[in-house]
Amino acid sequence: MGVGREVAISLDAVRDKNLMQLRKLNTALFPVRYNDKYYADALASGEFTKLAYFSDICVGSIACRLEKKEGGAICVYIMTLGVLAPYRGLGIGTKLLNHVLELCSKQNMSEIYLHVQTNNEDAINFYKKFGFEITDTIHNYYTNITPPDCYVVTKFITQPQPKK
Amino acid sequence: MGASLPPKEANLFKLIVKSYETKQYKKGLKAADQILKKFPDHGETLSMKGLTLNCMDRKSEAYELVRLGVKNDLKSHVCWHVYGLLYRSDREYREAIKCYRNALRIDPDNIEILRDLSLLQAQMRDLSGFVETRQQLLTLKPNHRMNWIGFAVAHHLNSNGSKAVEILEAYEGTLEDDYPPDNERCEHGEMLLYKISLLEECDFLERAIEELRRKEPKIVDKLSYKEQEVSLLVKIGRLEEGAKMYRLLLSMNPDNYRYYEGLQKCVGVYSENGKYSFDEIDQLDALYKSLGQQYTWSSAVKRIPLDFLQGEKFREAAFNYMRPLLTKGVPSLFSDLSSLYNQPGKADILEQLILELEHSIRTTGRYPGREEKEPPSTLMWTLFFLAQHYDRRGQYELALSKIDEAIEHTPTVIDLYSVKSRILKHAGDLAAAAALADEARCMDLADRYVNSECVKRMLQADQVPLAEKTAVLFTKDGDQHNNLHDMQCMWYELASGESYFRQGDLGRALKKFLAVEKHYADITEDQFDFHSYCLRKMTLRAYVEMLKFQDRLHSHSYFHKAAAGAIRCYIKLYDCPPKSTTEDDNDKANLLPSQKKKLKQKQRKAEARAKKEAEGKNEESSASGVSKSGKRHVKPVDPDPHGEKLLQVEDPMLEATKYLKLLQKSSPNSLETHLFSFEVNMRKQKILLAFQAVKQLLRLDAENPDSHRCLIRFFHKVDSMSAPVTDAEKLIWSVLEAERPAISQLQEKSLIETNKSFLDKHGDSLMHRAAAAEMLYVLEPNNKSEAIKLIEDSANNLVPTNGALGPVKEWKLRDCISVHKLLKTVLIDQDAALRWKVKCTEYFPHSAYFEGNRTGLSSSAYNQPSTNPENGAANHPGVNNQSAHATTIASNGKLEAFKELTI
Repeated sequence: MGVGREVAISLDAVRDKNLMQLRKLNTALFPVRYNDKYYADALASGEFTKLAYFSDICVGSIACRLEKKEGGAICVYIMTLGVLAPYRGLGIGTKLLNHVLELCSKQNMSEIYLHVQTNNEDAINFYKKFGFEITDTIHNYYTNITPPDCYVVTKFITQPQPKK
Repeated sequence: MGASLPPKEANLFKLIVKSYETKQYKKGLKAADQILKKFPDHGETLSMKGLTLNCMDRKSEAYELVRLGVKNDLKSHVCWHVYGLLYRSDREYREAIKCYRNALRIDPDNIEILRDLSLLQAQMRDLSGFVETRQQLLTLKPNHRMNWIGFAVAHHLNSNGSKAVEILEAYEGTLEDDYPPDNERCEHGEMLLYKISLLEECDFLERAIEELRRKEPKIVDKLSYKEQEVSLLVKIGRLEEGAKMYRLLLSMNPDNYRYYEGLQKCVGVYSENGKYSFDEIDQLDALYKSLGQQYTWSSAVKRIPLDFLQGEKFREAAFNYMRPLLTKGVPSLFSDLSSLYNQPGKADILEQLILELEHSIRTTGRYPGREEKEPPSTLMWTLFFLAQHYDRRGQYELALSKIDEAIEHTPTVIDLYSVKSRILKHAGDLAAAAALADEARCMDLADRYVNSECVKRMLQADQVPLAEKTAVLFTKDGDQHNNLHDMQCMWYELASGESYFRQGDLGRALKKFLAVEKHYADITEDQFDFHSYCLRKMTLRAYVEMLKFQDRLHSHSYFHKAAAGAIRCYIKLYDCPPKSTTEDDNDKANLLPSQKKKLKQKQRKAEARAKKEAEGKNEESSASGVSKSGKRHVKPVDPDPHGEKLLQVEDPMLEATKYLKLLQKSSPNSLETHLFSFEVNMRKQKILLAFQAVKQLLRLDAENPDSHRCLIRFFHKVDSMSAPVTDAEKLIWSVLEAERPAISQLQEKSLIETNKSFLDKHGDSLMHRAAAAEMLYVLEPNNKSEAIKLIEDSANNLVPTNGALGPVKEWKLRDCISVHKLLKTVLIDQDAALRWKVKCTEYFPHSAYFEGNRTGLSSSAYNQPSTNPENGAANHPGVNNQSAHATTIASNGKLEAFKELTI
């Protein structure tokens, strides 16, 4: 960590009152405008969507969608995870992802996944550190960026066996 | 009471009084009617019935009955008392006092009436009467604590402090030694502190301090005790003790500026204007350094030295002060330091300093000469400070580039957008400023402050309906912005009034300005309850302070603005009266009688429809009122919601004079007051009053361009008047004759020469040149071209500064706009106005008024996605993000607009 002094990093929920913060982050971070469904899903996911604050400044976010699988089990799909450029390398992304992973294991969710562009090695390596693996490749997933292919990156969570 | 009645009716009468006191008005009314059946002329019953009806919102009946009651029984104190109560309920205090006095003539020792009278006298500041009434009350009931205190306060208010002290001491003499009991210790302590403050006021300083120390155990408010003690010590000149005391107070609260000021006075280095010699500065520096070591948590002890330190020492102290605050991210840092910009040279030092910090953080991530790496936010806060710095210096281009950079760095910080909005406002792009403020608002919908700021910007940009919609997001009822009036939200009403005035809607503007005036009347009214409450609760120091505050209430700036706004409306109304009515008449004259009839019918129908609608609304609101609070409270519908009736005043100058008088009384040292007085009285042809205004203007600021304008215009008018005929005219003439030589500007000079010497004296200033040019044109209408040349030859010089970046020009946007208006509407030279505009477009590219080429740009810029490649998602190293899902949506073309912005 490159910072000499400790700065508190805290997480806060997304609500309709501060939704604009998430929009601002996404505008700065991603070359895409997200539609209303994205924000509705994010709000609906409750604790699975979080803003990260560096002292009092909102600098990053993780936004998830809860999806129902066949058979009724619920899995988590990470829609976006990002931190503003100047604030990277401070462990904020890790903190956000760990929060969601912990939540998954607390709520007995067995699967969490996301899509990554095939050439985004940094991102792939980042997720591998947390036990994610490439489970699938989708060709021509993207329409206006190259390469247009993406990996599906998934982590299967083995629930700790209840102690007997 | 009810003495003249037989026993049965006498009992009924008692029931009326009891019902009135317990607010069971229907019951009381029934009893009254029962008596009146038998004794229809019984005065006291008629009066009480009237008073009861008054509480049931039947005003006119009430007055009728009460007056009839008095007429039927002139010798009854009850009837007069009731009449007084009726007037009091309508805030007609002078009339009420008269009635009470009549009642007392019949029953001089009636305590209830005396008490009511004393309250009115306090409210109306009838101080000698107040003393008298209070004395009577004390004589009648000397065993009541309140009567002693009331008598003392009355004397104090009537400027007889020593008498008040005597009374309080006499009162103390009636108390037992072990007084007060536990449950009255606070009240008694307050009384003692009040007495000591009286002694201080009367300059009995030694006695005050002795008394204070003797009564120490009985005084509960220990902080006030200490503050009182130190104030006395300093006044007596026991400065060493005073210094010790101030240090003690500082150890309790090291952020109280008054304690530091007091300590400085005690050690002999204090100056009112903040100017110190070199030796004194060294002394102060040492003092604050040692204090700073003691009170490490105090921010005052770090901030105050910035005010007196100079040069290199200032630079060092500012550096040490700002560093931790920029690291921590304190958005108010700039406004904390902004007062330093009034001191010559300090702004330049700050600029160099902050630029150095910026450079160092950018290149090394550290402050110059420091080891620790700064958090990433420090650069953003530094840019934020720089933007405000350049804004303050009028370098809007630089300010905008800095704030844009900060926004790009961290786009989630709301303060950045607020400041950008402010910069754009200063630069003259009000619509863009409003849009930015709205963006800030959207980032935290739960923040009332950013909401209010946004409303204000919208009003400044004349977007009134949008502003109203935004404002009601935070009012309770949600849909009706009348709520803002009930909350006495004066900044809103003022800004809204100004906007309507700019848009030429004088009716609505007046409505808003007069609403503010009404709030002040209400505030005056609000003190009424405290006359009895404070005596009972013994909060006497606070009470007297409140009365003094009320006495200068109308000097408050909001009132000043409201009155000024109203006067401007009335002046405009006088100069160009609304045409609609006369035009209507003309139109009608051309119509055939049958057509006229139809027109009338149409109008009548429209009126009826409007009335019905209003009533419907009223029912709705009252219905919702019932459902919510459970009890009925009908809000009367405003019969003139758009102020149309306000426009139909017969004599606008008469109305203006009302508010002018209040201004003259409460703001006699404001130039604006006398400018209005001049304008109003010139229109009213009140020569001597206008002359008085001119003299006041010369007294306040003879070099002000507007003062000069009034001086020249006045004597130009006088000179052009025909010779006096009537006695009154001759009198005026002789007064002016006698006064004229006393005006130094005019001595042995023609008006043209006076104007010339004014120009010579202030030839470097745009606004002075403009005033001289305008007066030249007034005096010599043929010399218009010279007047215009005077203005066009003005030079926009550089402000003397050694600023590191970019030159600062002298001219202000507001001044240039008024010069443009002068060229366009007074000198009426469209070519010159156009030339002026082209020139100003260059100086103020963001100004919407001059249609600068940079207007509107910034408002659309933020609506586009950031194109900064650094923030791009896909291929950036170290990016922990992915945007897969989102991209597919994008390909479907369902891009979502950020937020609909109406500019």
